[in-house]
This record gives sequence, C-alpha cells and structure tokens, in this order.
Amino acid sequence: MIAAPRLRRFRLTQDDRRNLRTALPFIAPWIIGFVAFTVYPIVYSLYLSFTHYSGFGDATAAGLDNYQHLVKDPLFWQSLSNTLYYTALAVPIGVVVAIVLALMMNQNVREVAIYRAAFYLPTIIPLFALTFIFIVLLNPGFGLVDYILELFHIPAVNWLGDARWTKISIVLLAQLGAGGPALIFLAGLRAVPTELYESALIDGAGPLRRFYKITLPLISPVILFDLIYGTILGIQIFTPAFVLTGGTSGGGAYTAGPENSLLFYVYYLYKNAFQYSDMGYASAMAWVLFVISVVLALAIMRWSKYWVHYEVT
Amino acid sequence: MTLLPARGVKASLISLLMVVGACGGGATSAPPLAGCNSGTTQVLFWTSHTPPDTDSMAHMVTAFNKQSTTSCVKMVAVPGSETDIAKLTTAVRGGTGPDVYELDRFTVAERAAAGVLTDLSSFGAASQSGNYLDFAWKEALFKGKPYALPFDTDARALFYNKDLLQAAGIDPSTLDISKGAPTIDTIRTMANKLNKKDASGKYSVVGFVPALSQGWHYTWGFAYGGSFFDAGSCKVTPDDPKIVQAFQDMFWNWSGALGVDALQTFLSTYAPTTPPLPTEQDAFLTGHIGFVVTGPWVLSWFPQYKPNLHYGITYIPVPHAGDQPATWAGGWSVVIPKGAKNANGGYEFMKYFAGEAGQRVYTKETQHMPTWKTLLTDTSLYQGDLGIFVKLLPTAHSRPALPVGSLYWDQLSTAQDAAIRHSKDPAAALKAAATATNDKLQQYCPLAA
Repeated sequence: MIAAPRLRRFRLTQDDRRNLRTALPFIAPWIIGFVAFTVYPIVYSLYLSFTHYSGFGDATAAGLDNYQHLVKDPLFWQSLSNTLYYTALAVPIGVVVAIVLALMMNQNVREVAIYRAAFYLPTIIPLFALTFIFIVLLNPGFGLVDYILELFHIPAVNWLGDARWTKISIVLLAQLGAGGPALIFLAGLRAVPTELYESALIDGAGPLRRFYKITLPLISPVILFDLIYGTILGIQIFTPAFVLTGGTSGGGAYTAGPENSLLFYVYYLYKNAFQYSDMGYASAMAWVLFVISVVLALAIMRWSKYWVHYEVT
Repeated sequence: MTLLPARGVKASLISLLMVVGACGGGATSAPPLAGCNSGTTQVLFWTSHTPPDTDSMAHMVTAFNKQSTTSCVKMVAVPGSETDIAKLTTAVRGGTGPDVYELDRFTVAERAAAGVLTDLSSFGAASQSGNYLDFAWKEALFKGKPYALPFDTDARALFYNKDLLQAAGIDPSTLDISKGAPTIDTIRTMANKLNKKDASGKYSVVGFVPALSQGWHYTWGFAYGGSFFDAGSCKVTPDDPKIVQAFQDMFWNWSGALGVDALQTFLSTYAPTTPPLPTEQDAFLTGHIGFVVTGPWVLSWFPQYKPNLHYGITYIPVPHAGDQPATWAGGWSVVIPKGAKNANGGYEFMKYFAGEAGQRVYTKETQHMPTWKTLLTDTSLYQGDLGIFVKLLPTAHSRPALPVGSLYWDQLSTAQDAAIRHSKDPAAALKAAATATNDKLQQYCPLAA
C-alpha cells in the first residue's frame, strides 16, 4: 500500500474540523461572492465559447465553430499582434521608468515628499482624462510634443494619425501611470540593507556599480512581480484605444485608429460582444487570451530563475 | 444581554413599516415626476444623443407629459453611439433596461435578430406603416415584423465655402444647385486651386477631402451607382466593380494626389477623428477646407458658430456629366427593449415622439428632417436651406437593413481607411470585407421580405 500514508497527510484532526466549521460562516460571504461573480461567469463563458449566442434568447450549440472562425479572422490576428506589440514595448519600458522614478523618490533630500507626490500625481488622474490631455499634447499642428521636436529640428510626427506611431503614443501614455509600480519599487529600495552600500563604498564601488551589483539584484523580486502584473494588464489594454477611437460623426464609427492599428485584443472582443452581439465568439476570444496570459506568465516565471535573487548570498 | 428593550423593538418596527409604506407608494396617485399628471405611471426613455438634440427632445417629453393621463416620461441621456449599445444590452440583461430606447434605424434589424427588441405587432404598429416614408418604415422591420417606429431622417449634399472659392478666382455661382450636379472632375479642378501650405510645408487649406465628414463608403458607392447588397443571393456585395471604382477614384487616387502622409497630417491637425474636435473648430467652419459632403444638421451650427459664413449647397458630384446625382438617408428610431416594465406606456410615448406632433417639434428645432410623410409637405417647417435636403429625399438611397449592419459598416470603414492610406488595394480590401461580412450573415439567411 503506497497511497495510504499520502492520504493520511490530508486527514483533518478534530481540532482542524472544529476550526473549519467556525471559520466557514465567517468567510462564506467571500466564498459566495467569488463563486457567483467569478467562478460561475468563468465557467459559463467557457460554455458560451462553444455556442452561438447574442446575449439574449437561447444559445445554440456551435461546437468548435467560434475557435475555427478565430483562426480565419484577419482582425483577430491583427488585434493579437497589436496587443503583443504594445505589451512587448510598454512593459519593459514601464519597468525602467518605474525604477528611475523610484530612485528619484528615494533621494535623501528635504523636498523628497514633494517629488513623491508630483511623480505619483498622474497615476491618480483617471485614464479617460489623461487620454484627452494626451490628444492635445500630440496634435501634429499645435501640440506641445511636436513643437519641442521641431525646436530641435527633428521632423514632426503624426502621432495619432499614422499607424506606425499610434501604439507608441499609447506606450508613452501608459508611462504616466508609472507612479503606482514606482511606489512598490520604492518599498523594495527601502528594504535593501544599508550596510551593503556602506561596505561597497568602503571597497571603492561607484554609484553605477552599487546600483548594478546591489540595488538591482535585491529588487529583482519586485521586477518579477511588475513584469508579470504589467504583462497581464498590458494584454488587456482597452481604455486609451476606446477613448481615442470611440468618435462617431452622424452616421457611424470610424476604424479603431488608422489601419485598425489601435484595435487591441480586448477592444475587438468588446466590439464582438456589444456591437456585433456575438457573445459566443467574444467568449472564445476571452479564453484564448486567458491561455496566452497563462503561457506568458509561466514563461516569465521560468525565465526569472536566472535573474531573480530572493536573499543576499 | 438584551440589545433593545421590547418597547424599542416595537417602535423600530412601526417606524420601519412607515418608511417602507412611504417608499412603496403603490396606492398613491401623486405624479411620479414634476410636470406629469397625477395617476400616471413612469416611462423610462434612454437616448445616446447630446445637446442640442436632447434639448429639443426634452421639449417633446415635457409636452407629452402635460397631455398624457396615463404615462409620465423620464428622459435619461446614456453613453452609446450609432453602433455601440453596450449600456442598453447589459441593462436589459440585468433587468434594469428602459421602456423606450432611441436606436439608429439601420441597426434595427440587427438588434431585433439578436433578441434585444420587442416585436411591436401586438401594439398594432403595422397600422402606422402608411404614415412614414417607405424606406424608413422598411428599416424598422425585421422578417416582416415592426420592431421600431421611425424618427428623423437626413440626406447628404456638397457644401462649399464661397469666400474661399472667390479668393482663388472661382465664380461660386457656377455651382448653383439649379445648374444640376457638378462632375467630380469639375470639383477636383476647383479644389486643387484652394490647396495652401504654410511656411513649414504642411497643408493649411485643402480644397476637398472626399472622405471627410459624410463622405463615407456608402456615399461614394451610391454616387458611382454601386449596389451594396444582393437580396437574391442574401450576400453583401462591397466588391461590386462600381464601388471598387468609387474607392479607387475618391479615396486612393485622391489622397495619392494630395500626398498620403501630408493629407493625414492635415486631417490630424484640423479634422481629427480620434476624437473629433468640438463643433466650433470644425474644419469647414474655420475655413480649412473648401468643400465638404455633410448633412442638414450643420445648418443649425452656422448661426451659432459662424454667422457670417458664405456657403452654398449642391448635389454630391457625379462621375460623368449628366449622371443622376445620388445621396443616402439615415436617421434614428424608437424601440421597446425586451423586459420593459411599462411597454404599454412606452408605446404610447413612442407614438407621440415619432408621430406627427413630436417630429414637428424636432424638425423645427434641430433642422433634422421628418419621416412622417405629411410633415414633408409643410413648407413652413423648412426655414432656409433645409428645403434643399427635403427635395433630395425622394430619390435618396438607404443602407441595406441587415442583421450584420454594424459589422458591415466597420468592414467598409476598414477598407476605406486602407484605400486612403494606400495600405491595401481597394479591390482586395473590399473583397476581404465581403468575405468577413458574408461569413456572419449566412446564419440569418434567407432574410424574409
């Protein structure tokens, strides 16, 4: 009998059972909420992905139709590539910007509190409002960004009107939200033991060397967290593209940015669900995105073994 | 330990009952809203429109509430657009939808097919058919049953800025509408004389951008005599050679002549669509474009934002001299979403709102055109240039009312965008639009008349 001892390990003692009986009613509100509003919709969307369903009436079984259609749908591939392109740019740049911000917030100067507030401030502004500010800044005719570029004799860029630049505009916009992750990095920086810097200083290490040899390895767990969190949020990018391209003018909608360059995955999913009343197709898209998220997160975890240090050795 | 003495419990219960009684209010006859008659029940009406249209709608609601002895309408502006009804669908699914919703008419068939709308047959809506313009009534049907009452309509025409033309040495009177439709070549020659660049080499004025404002795929497709749907085979036909030619001439070649990137920089500066500029900065009002295809609603902008604008209106240009000019008409409608709590009251309001009384107010105040036939002959309603559009109506085309109407629109827009930017050849882009749309259309075929 090989299985028996393993089973015994999971057997609850009488105390455990009594504790569980007491604890369950206390956490029941969360369990009920989690099952009703998270587990059920997830399972239901898996079921819907195998049906044709408008959101009303009965869903009709469709087998693998939706998934087969996905493979043939050029807009699905375009939205996926738009999203991966954006994520591949926004996430690493986001990590660098957040670390730089955190380093600035960590300076030993008297006005540091003002800096921290100033760097964090854009994070508080709703993304919706930020996007509108950005539209004005990026106008090729009278926007501040192109004006500055032209002062330095750099040719002006049609940021939001040229398919080559639209996603880069959104990557720039995303950096205004770097205050949030910067706070986490700041906490990471504060946790680095000061003795390490002191002994490095005695050994003659300069500021760059101290950063690469001490700071970076010791905040690597935070970098890992930010990479995974940023990636999951990045592939769900929706709001800026929706705000930028939601414009209609007395007759119908335009494309999702020039050449559909801002048709991100979740935006296309939203269009299918709520504009084309194709919940089955949208659900299939959601599941494909879920699988992609999991694969990406696992890949980053596996890769992290080579560069994340959890303790000083 | 007793938390409350017995007397306290009783007192609490009584006060609770009083509160519940006051909130329930089932038996009272007080009006649900100020301005309504007593004994009326509330009708919730949602619209995604904004002022000045909603100002006029508010007048209609007030007038209705004053005279109705059974219903009391509450109008709420909600987010949404011609093709985006996410707010409506989620609310209806959650059991909190409105009793009446204002829906773009060309999507009625699509929303009816999805099951969002109530079939109005049981209200006797079919008997209303004779009151409305034929094309508008047809848009309100799905599989032969009425799902909406038509509201306003519109048409498209070519507006030109007389001052800009004169400054370029062109006599604007040659474009007078009495002389018939100008040819596309005529307009191109004139427009090229208006183009201007600033010191940095960017366009500051472009004579004509055919795709701007209402110069949609449908506009030029109809102008070239194209057909967008074949009822016999139940297939969309954006790859009709005439539509391909329209895309080639008006989008691909036109932007090629102006310079693809230079035109995009001009549009992003003076006429961005992501998102559009406020009305007072409209490129036609500010003199940055000389010609624009647009609709009658801009007539209400002029007195407000540019009272001294010297403009003229003529037919949308035609490919060859002597061709019959074409335009198309759209417009909105009112529907009862599924699960409406007061559908009877809702229908009573719809008959007023989309009927003779409501449309009369809306036409007068907003310069939209009515779909109510008898109002079209009432010349007192059409001040100024609105009369031109009324004359265009009888020959106006309308978009095919398909269960995949908004998908088709987006597919056409994608092909149009690709043609303007030279990123995909019109024939290939329109072929792709046909494939994608027909793929989704098949499940609804055949479409009953």
